Amino acid sequence: MRHAVRLLVLAFVGLIVLPAGSATATTTHLAQADDRPVVRVGTEGVYPPFSFHDAKTNKLTGFDIDVIKAVAKKAGWKLTFVETTFDGIFTALDAKRIDVIANQVTRNPEREAKYGLGTTYTYSRGVIVVKKGTTGIKTLADIKKRSDDDDPVTAAESVTTSWADVARKAGAKIKAVDGFSEAAALVVRGDADLLINDNIAALDYLNTTGKDDIEIAGDAGDEVSEQVLAFRKDDPRLEESNKALAELKADGTLAKISEKYFKTDVTVENSGDVDVSGGRAARSDTEVAKDAAWPMLKKLLIATIPITIISFAFGLMVAVAAALARISGSRVLSAIAKAYISIIRGTPLLVQLFIVFYGLPEIGIKLSPWTSAILALSLNVGGYAAEVVRAAILSVPRGQFEAASTVGMGYWQSLRRIVFPQAARIAVPPLSNTAISLLKDTSLLAVVTVTELTQEARFAAANSGAYLVLYGVAAVYYWVVCVGMSAVQGRLETRLNRFVAR
Amino acid sequence: MTDIPQITNDMGDLRVRARGLQKSFGDNHVLHGIDLDVAAGTTSVLIGPSGSGKTTILRSLNVLERPDSGTIRIDDVEVDFATLPDKGGSARQQIAALRAQSGMVFQAHNLFPHKTVIQNVIEGPVQVQKRPLEQAVDEAKALLDQVGLSDKADQYPFQLSGGQQQRVGIARALALKPRVMLFDEPTSALDPELVGEVLSVIKELAAEGWTTVLVTHEIRFAEHVADQVLFLDEGVVVERGPSAQVIGDPREERTQQFLKRILDPA
Repeated sequence: MRHAVRLLVLAFVGLIVLPAGSATATTTHLAQADDRPVVRVGTEGVYPPFSFHDAKTNKLTGFDIDVIKAVAKKAGWKLTFVETTFDGIFTALDAKRIDVIANQVTRNPEREAKYGLGTTYTYSRGVIVVKKGTTGIKTLADIKKRSDDDDPVTAAESVTTSWADVARKAGAKIKAVDGFSEAAALVVRGDADLLINDNIAALDYLNTTGKDDIEIAGDAGDEVSEQVLAFRKDDPRLEESNKALAELKADGTLAKISEKYFKTDVTVENSGDVDVSGGRAARSDTEVAKDAAWPMLKKLLIATIPITIISFAFGLMVAVAAALARISGSRVLSAIAKAYISIIRGTPLLVQLFIVFYGLPEIGIKLSPWTSAILALSLNVGGYAAEVVRAAILSVPRGQFEAASTVGMGYWQSLRRIVFPQAARIAVPPLSNTAISLLKDTSLLAVVTVTELTQEARFAAANSGAYLVLYGVAAVYYWVVCVGMSAVQGRLETRLNRFVAR
Repeated sequence: MTDIPQITNDMGDLRVRARGLQKSFGDNHVLHGIDLDVAAGTTSVLIGPSGSGKTTILRSLNVLERPDSGTIRIDDVEVDFATLPDKGGSARQQIAALRAQSGMVFQAHNLFPHKTVIQNVIEGPVQVQKRPLEQAVDEAKALLDQVGLSDKADQYPFQLSGGQQQRVGIARALALKPRVMLFDEPTSALDPELVGEVLSVIKELAAEGWTTVLVTHEIRFAEHVADQVLFLDEGVVVERGPSAQVIGDPREERTQQFLKRILDPA
């Protein structure tokens, strides 16, 4: 029993302290190399041409990215970028996971009250985008009329954007999506009647995807909207940023960045028409797949697979500890293990990820994205595998413990040399299931801002709209790894079955 | 337990001495103060109906069951169970020391199925007693030869017959170089035609001078091999003495009835 306690403690310490420690070490290392203050920038990465991944280099780029980089250069900051969905972006700012949002945040009174909004660096107008051939929806008044006729239109929007507000105020029902390209896909599918967004984003989408099944129907009102950098209220870096923007405006840098993307200066009011045609050309699906295949494979190799392996290793330790606690005969330990298993199995992994990443900082426990991901996945795997391990240990006859005792072995030695090797034979098939599920569960990690295979596919899709081919490639990658895992399972089973009569 | 016939104190060099063993499983009081003396180099056989406590006594000697009270001494290690702490390092050490004095052979052999025959035999010597591997392997080979299984060293237990498995179990216990060998109904789970090969190994051990305590239903074998026979019923030693007396000419009525049932079941 004491052993079980020790193992539990060790497992948890290992889970929490080790990754945290290594994170600290990395930070120290960086600080030595570069003593500029680090400013963390939240951005979508799936909102071209403002924030997206270049199809060729896969690097995060875009108008907003160039602007914040120019600001950082003036202000003397070192930037790190955190990519998350727009609907998670203000939460991340509140939770101090990021310091500033550079993602075409539109100024409005609510945000003005709650956040520190900088000076305007984009003037734009909203447009209504519909499926080609749609009639009768050209203005906000048309949307309003449909609502008054008790037949409200559906608008696909990220729910926390100002565009969603515009649509809502006009009387549209909001269908929640994670980004612009998903919104466009919903309009094409007919699941939403329209989307309202920045005219630049809409033009860029039409231009780069080469899609002709949606079109700009008209302006969403005649108000010009202003986009700004958003900090937390009272963050002194807001002033530094405003000062830098003023300088950039004065020395022509802002205009230059805008010209590069839009052939006109959107950083001043009443600029000319935006022209995005010189930017990224439309690519065929084959080209899209070719461009994205390597970045996706890279994310599979440096994120998806390592996170799976590390989480499974920790999860197995937690599972063994929980299983031993359950069969320890100690009521307290057993109750703790039971509660843990019940909580993990009784709640969705997605909710667990949100709690670890966004919830824990509220009580002072702030873990890096990777640590959060590994912690949540390990605890999740541990909860499921604990019952497998427990059943496997109990399947070893009591006489085996006794025989181990009579040759002089203690508790741990008996477990290690006699019980676990026999329990492994029973546990391998169900544990393989758990491992395979875990691999696929890593596709949820975008919510903790870890860019793994699926998120990489999303980035590429945002840039091209080629969902079928990109998610197809992702599916093939997952499947190939799973086939490999099944092969390992088969070899393990053969090995462990060698001492059993057939 | 003063109603028990005198404990023979003239057995010379005592190897095992148990006094006043008490054991209950919940409300079931299975040992009512058992005394047991085993002289070095002799064979003692425990007989009695099922539930009489004979297996519990044997398992107590190896501390697979922990008596509620009483003392057990094997060779120079003695444990007083009345004062032994419930748990903790001291209790574990004392139990380990006493356990190391005996080698146990189970009814269901309990060989380690994931280890080969020779790995089963060297597991205790190498992993627990930390003897050099080469030496342990040499000794294991000699032991396997002794039980007639030198050609099975690299097979897994599932590849052996029941009698062969039980003989490996004996070799595994012997490899620990215990001061006393304990056999818990070693032939009860075997097909009748396999019983002989196991009994003959036990007989050889007795003849070689191993100190042995055996629980068995093989009354004829017990009569032949035992220096001392104890008849137990309902947790007490009803009768004890040389086999010729306890089996050949039992004084107690309960012993007589038991032997009659066993030897002449019809």
